[in-house]
Amino acid sequence: MSRFASPDEYGLADLLCCAAAREVQDNEVVFAGTGLPMVAIMLAQKTHAPNLKLIFEAGTLDGRPPEIPTSVGDARCEMGASKASGLYDAFSIAQRGYVDLGFLGGAEVDQYGNVNTTCIGDYLSPELRLTGSGGNPDINSFAKRTVFVMVHERRRFVEKVSYITSPGWQVKQWPGGETVHRRELYGAAYRGGPSAIISTLGVFRFDEEDGHMYLDTFHPGTTPEKIQEQCQFELDTSRVQGETAVPTYEELQLIHDVLDPDEIFIPKAAK
Amino acid sequence: MEKDKRISVQQAAEMIKDGSSLTFSGFTIWRRPFGVVYELIRQQRKGLHLIEVNGGPHTEFLVGAGCVDIWESCWVGHELYGKYGANLSRKVAEKKILVEDYSHAEMMFRFAAAAAGAPYAVTQTSLGTDIHNPEYDMLGKAGLRDGQRIAKSKYIFTEDPFFDAGQQVMVPAVKVDVALLCVQQVGEEGTVRVNGQYYSDPEAARAADITIAVAEEIVPEEFLRRNADQNTIPSFEVDYIVECPYGAHPTGMFGRYDVDGPFLKKFYSETRTQEGFDAFAKEWIHGQEQTSYLEKLGWPRMLKLRANSAMNYCPRERKGGK
Repeated sequence: MSRFASPDEYGLADLLCCAAAREVQDNEVVFAGTGLPMVAIMLAQKTHAPNLKLIFEAGTLDGRPPEIPTSVGDARCEMGASKASGLYDAFSIAQRGYVDLGFLGGAEVDQYGNVNTTCIGDYLSPELRLTGSGGNPDINSFAKRTVFVMVHERRRFVEKVSYITSPGWQVKQWPGGETVHRRELYGAAYRGGPSAIISTLGVFRFDEEDGHMYLDTFHPGTTPEKIQEQCQFELDTSRVQGETAVPTYEELQLIHDVLDPDEIFIPKAAK
Repeated sequence: MEKDKRISVQQAAEMIKDGSSLTFSGFTIWRRPFGVVYELIRQQRKGLHLIEVNGGPHTEFLVGAGCVDIWESCWVGHELYGKYGANLSRKVAEKKILVEDYSHAEMMFRFAAAAAGAPYAVTQTSLGTDIHNPEYDMLGKAGLRDGQRIAKSKYIFTEDPFFDAGQQVMVPAVKVDVALLCVQQVGEEGTVRVNGQYYSDPEAARAADITIAVAEEIVPEEFLRRNADQNTIPSFEVDYIVECPYGAHPTGMFGRYDVDGPFLKKFYSETRTQEGFDAFAKEWIHGQEQTSYLEKLGWPRMLKLRANSAMNYCPRERKGGK
């Protein structure tokens, strides 16, 4: 068993990557987006989950890329894949219910796990238009679990997101806009929802009944109190388990020597 | 004798009229038909309605140049070479462009419906999100929902009438005038062979009224018909063909060349303002044509991007990062 690294031997991105990798279970079908989630999944594939099935939304199914693709549309995604196809296949597979776990990002999140990637400010007169939804709502609608990796700032962990791009546990029922549990809205398509948010300060989980976010672990160097200060809503800290597990030497070696040697997504810790 | 489908880059751009609805092959920063996109900007096309499964750099170029009035899609950016679509964001803030948001799967299923000749698709994605907020039906608010080229509703909720599976969302098929594809090979009669992931190209080709295939190379039709199992789009769905080597640059082409990351980074960082865009266009687009553009880029740069034929990507190119 590889030993845990000491604080000066890893960076925050390493910690996030390892925390994300630990969300993956072996034999799962995992739907991943570009960036840190991709590194995390490939890390899991090279450690405790060698049989995970990787799906990229641009259309490669069960790929085994030897090096990190720069995006899900990259030619590298195809290496070792079971099938190279297209988006119709990828989204049909998700809607059909094959996907166990999705990895996503977001600009803002509320206490029910509703995520915004569309705009900052009033939608009809936005201060800033972001990338838009992409497949975020689709994966979050259909996967059994979704994990978000996010930068943690008070302006991002908000009472109410500017725009609900991706559905959390308590969602809007249109046309009226009343709030309901997603189980009620999704009916036969209900399979689960956001299971974790890995932020730059801690790991958060959700009570699947009332849909509220709670703090599970806090990263070394911070405290539940400090994290509460960085949330606009009242954060449940009653279930906190302690500090987030830090990277092992084996994980750090895989990240920096094998998966991302060019530091495209994960910078090396400053020595 | 079948009509000759071969046209030039300039003629391809001329097929796309002011006010046309237009879609593209590819995915974010891969296989976008830049040769013709640049030519549309040179020809100062106006009032385009882009309907895209997802957007990318080509969207940003057309939007920055003022060619686009309506953008209907789900995502725009340059992946790790630019966080979001700065030109679209600027035009949205200035209210110079109408944006209609759907989810990625909804856009895909809308294309699939059109490709199958169906008026709508049914899905359960994105329930509970603001994508379905009736206040955010921008084409409806602008009074553009004529039931002809633009659907009468953005979406309609319904209950599953067959198996009681609960709430469903009906999304309208897309109505696209022209699909511009950028692919590795096309035959003289129009058969398209895409190598690697084909993204949403087959549905886009079939959904559009006119499909133009811009290829790295036009190859003998008979060559493609020897291995029909490797082909992606049948000949009769393609109306015009264009030969345009390196026509996807600065986006990448599986098996041929990688994404030109530094070029996209430069575009993203220099075109946050309209003045920045105009200067970029003056340098790289106006007064150029495909050959002079490639000459300006230079052989060393293009060779550096060239894919290894065994791996289908370029193992030499550092992909960005620090």
